[in-house]
Amino acid sequence: MAGKIKQLIDFIISQRAKDNPMLERVIKTKLILKGINPIKYTQMSDDDPVILAKLERMMQELK
Amino acid sequence: MDILTAFSAKDSVEEIIEDINNQLGFFDTEFLVFFASSKFSPKEISQKMQDAFPVSQIIGCSTAGEIIQGKLLNNSVVAMAFNSGAIDDVAIEVVENLPDEGAIKKAFGSFESHFNASMADMDPQKYVGIVLVDGLSCAEEALMENIGDLTNVIFVGGSAGDDLQFKATHVYTKGKCYSNAAVLALLKPRKEFTFVKAQSFRDLNKTLEVTKADEAKREVIEFNGKPAAIAYAEAVGTSVDEAPKKFMLNPLGLIIDDEPYVRSPQQIKSNGSMSFYCGVLEGTELSVLESTDIISDTRKAIEQAKQELGTISAIININCILRTLEITQKNLVGDYEVLFSGIPTVGLSSYGEQYIGHINQTATMLVFK
Repeated sequence: MAGKIKQLIDFIISQRAKDNPMLERVIKTKLILKGINPIKYTQMSDDDPVILAKLERMMQELK
Repeated sequence: MDILTAFSAKDSVEEIIEDINNQLGFFDTEFLVFFASSKFSPKEISQKMQDAFPVSQIIGCSTAGEIIQGKLLNNSVVAMAFNSGAIDDVAIEVVENLPDEGAIKKAFGSFESHFNASMADMDPQKYVGIVLVDGLSCAEEALMENIGDLTNVIFVGGSAGDDLQFKATHVYTKGKCYSNAAVLALLKPRKEFTFVKAQSFRDLNKTLEVTKADEAKREVIEFNGKPAAIAYAEAVGTSVDEAPKKFMLNPLGLIIDDEPYVRSPQQIKSNGSMSFYCGVLEGTELSVLESTDIISDTRKAIEQAKQELGTISAIININCILRTLEITQKNLVGDYEVLFSGIPTVGLSSYGEQYIGHINQTATMLVFK
């Protein structure tokens, strides 16, 4: 399977930043500091379970 | 004036508190931040500061040096007092047993009750957080990651110091002192605010990828598939034996939006791995950095904040101890002081800095209009 990481990154950024460019930058920085660089992931990227777990945890905290 | 500063270099805690009370006692202090040399008893300084300002909300920590109006001090206590004209509301929580994620959630639950608003939905332009954390806890990364997962509010701050003894550092609030803990203050300022993240390095466009690391120990075992010390020494053009001499002027950085989030090397281990002052994740690409003009870079950062706000009424300045040492060693103390002339400023020389994450060799500042 591929593409789920990019999908989750896009979802987290849109949910948290709500089209605020300053917040988009902050959230991307938070992701990079976690070891997840958004620009490295495309629809073709493998679904690395370690990265997916980090993103899913981040989504959980949003609820 | 809604924000005032005070400092004292007296010898005893009693004299210090009396001196600071003389400077701020007339002021209707709603919130007070203080930074105290580690020479003062943590228990005594925290208790007596709260006794002197019984109705004020107070946070503080021990230091590796204090800062007042750009003056780099030692063996003193500096304080900044905010009245209700500067701060609409403030709440303080302690997070003990770092990095206890449950404790952070509990603290945030208290903030939500106090402000009657969800941390996830709080407007980061209306609220700001200050974090002061035990500088020897090695828990800052996890703390900041947990905070960042739970809210869009920016928390800025620093790791407490102990005058380069590396024995024990403390954070203070509500008349008590804590180790292996962080104090979090959530402020709703009446004034506009912004942040400064100032570091003085340029990217040498040489990349070291962390190919093997012991993340919990903040150790890199291999860069680019080679023993970390060998790869670092090659990148900075020296031998492994001489490499530690390059640490201060050639740290590494995670480059985000053309800006380094500095990771400072601490030590080369006997097995060729390298320890750092902050966490380094496996798979991360770090750039080799080179020191630039610390005065000019800090001036630009403060001017940028001034342009953004129009005026500056106060700064809380968390300045890495390695920056303080560089300023001192290069005889730039007077030039540094001038950068803050006319701006009420308090701060400390810290063992780590926080802004979105945990960083090194940086000044993180909370700047008020």
